[in-house]
Amino acid sequence: MTELDVPAWSEPFVGDRRTELGRLGPFEAVDREFAFGGSDGSGVRVAIVDSGVERDHPAVGGALVGSFRVEPTDEDPIVVEDPDAIDVVGHGTACAGIIHALAPAAELVSVRVLGPDNRGKGTNFAAGLIWAIEQGITVVNLSLSSRSEELFGLFHELTDEAYFGNVLLVSAANNVPGPSYPSLFSSVVSVAAHDVADPWTWYYNPRPPVEFGGYGLDVDVAWKDGERTVATGNSFAAPHITGIAALIRAKHPSATPFEVKAMLAATANR
Amino acid sequence: MAADRRRRLGRDAVSLLEAIALRAEVGRRVQGDSANAVLRSIVEATVTLFDAEAASIALYDAASDRLVFEVAAGEQGQGVLGISIAPDQGIAGYVFRTGQALALSDVAQDARFGRAVAEQTAYLPRSIVAVPLVTDDRTIGVLEVLDKRSAAAFSLRDIELASVFARQAATAITATRVERDVASLLDSALRALAGPGDPEPATVSEIVAAAIEDVGRDDASRLWALADVIARVRAADPGQLELVIDILGALDRQTGRDRSRRRRPRSGGADPRETR
Repeated sequence: MTELDVPAWSEPFVGDRRTELGRLGPFEAVDREFAFGGSDGSGVRVAIVDSGVERDHPAVGGALVGSFRVEPTDEDPIVVEDPDAIDVVGHGTACAGIIHALAPAAELVSVRVLGPDNRGKGTNFAAGLIWAIEQGITVVNLSLSSRSEELFGLFHELTDEAYFGNVLLVSAANNVPGPSYPSLFSSVVSVAAHDVADPWTWYYNPRPPVEFGGYGLDVDVAWKDGERTVATGNSFAAPHITGIAALIRAKHPSATPFEVKAMLAATANR
Repeated sequence: MAADRRRRLGRDAVSLLEAIALRAEVGRRVQGDSANAVLRSIVEATVTLFDAEAASIALYDAASDRLVFEVAAGEQGQGVLGISIAPDQGIAGYVFRTGQALALSDVAQDARFGRAVAEQTAYLPRSIVAVPLVTDDRTIGVLEVLDKRSAAAFSLRDIELASVFARQAATAITATRVERDVASLLDSALRALAGPGDPEPATVSEIVAAAIEDVGRDDASRLWALADVIARVRAADPGQLELVIDILGALDRQTGRDRSRRRRPRSGGADPRETR
C-alpha cells in the first residue's frame, strides 16, 4: 500500500500505524493514580505568559528557570531576556505560585507581555505566545486573553500550531461576554473558577466552550514584592489546571494535548 | 460630470451635517453631559447594590496613554475623581490590559492597588473587585468596587454582577462615542467627495458653527431659551413637572390650531420643527 492509496489525513488509522493508537485504555480505567500518581512535574517546562514572575518570591521556590519579556519594536514585537525577573503587577507570580505548589519539580519560564508600553497590547500577547510555542514549552498558562477581533485569525492559527506542535495551552475564560481569544478556541483547555477551596478539585463541563472549572475563589496567592493576597477570578483557576496538566505530562511524556485533556476530563471530580 | 456629482453629494452631506449639528446641540442643551450622567447613575447603583464603600469608573484616554477616573460614588469614592494612572499600574491597569476580571481582598498592607493612588485619595481599601468595560472589540476602561460592607471579600457572583454594570457603562460610552465619530466620519467623507481639483471644502466644525449661529437669530433664539429652561426644569419635583407638562400640552394644542388656520411657510432662520 502506497502513501497515495490512503485518503488525506487517514495515515494514522491505517495498517501498521494503527498500533500507535492503542496506547490509552478505556476512559473508566483512567484514574488519578494512572494519570499523575507519583508525578511531581519533573522534566516538564511550563510557561507563564503574564505580567512577569518574581524569581525570588518564596512561593516560586526557585523553580523559575527563564525570564523573558516582549519588547515592542517599530515592526513586530520581539522576545528578549528579562534578567531582573520582575512582575509589574503580581498576577504572574500568583499563577507561578499556584503551579509550583501542585507541580514542584516543573520548570517555570516567565514570558512577560505586560509592561509600560501600551502599543499593540494584543500583538504583544500574541508575540509571547508565538515564542512559547516555538520553544516547544510543554504547558503554557494563559490567564489572559485578547478581545481584538483583528487578532482572531492569528490566535486561531497559533492555537492550531500549538496543538499540532504538542504544546498544551491552558487558557482562563473571560467572564465578560463577547470574543475572547484564545480561550474560546476548541483546542485549548479553557478554565473558569469554582468555589470549592481545594486545589485538587476540578470539574469537567461537557458543555463547551468552557470545559474545566478550577479553584478560583478566595485563593491565597503570591503577589508582587514578595507578598501574598487573597484573589478571586478565572485567572487563578487556570494555573490550578495547568499544574495538574504538568503532572500528567511528566508522567505521560508521549501523551498529546488531546490526550492530556481527556485525562483531565476523566479524572475530574464528579 | 463626476465633479458635479461629487459636489451634489457634498451638498447633501453638508445638509445632513447641519441637521445632525442642530439635533446634537438641542440634545446637549437639554440633557447636559448625558454619558457622564449615565455613568454616575451606574456607579451609584453599584455602590447601593453591593453595599460598598465606593465604586468608580476609569476610562482609557489614548492621547495621554492614561486611565482616568471619570466618575465615582460612595462615601470613600470621591477622592479618586480626576486621578489618572498608567494603564499597566495596579489592579485597574491589569484588568484594563488583560480584560480579566479580578477580585482581591485583605489588601491594605501592600502595593497591589497602586499605593500611590490609595495615598492620594487617603483611602486604603480592604477588598476590591475590578472588571473591564468592554465594547465589541476592545477594552475601554475599568469599573472598580471597593469594600463590600457585608463581607470580607467579593465573590464570583459579585464579579458577574459587576460585569453587568460594566456592560451598561460600556454601552453608554459607545453611544456617545458614536455621536462624536459621526462628525469625524462626515468630515472625512466631505474631504473625499471634494476630490483633488476642487477647492478645500468647509470643515465639519465650520459647518456646525454656521448651522448653530444661523438658528441663534430671530425667533429660533427663543427656542434655545426654551431648551435651556427645559434643561433646568429636569430638576423639578414631580408635582411641578406635571404642571409644566400640562402647560406645554395646552400650548401644543394652541399651536396646532394656529397652524391649521394659517398654513404659511416661515421665513428666515431654520425651521424650529427641525430641532424637535
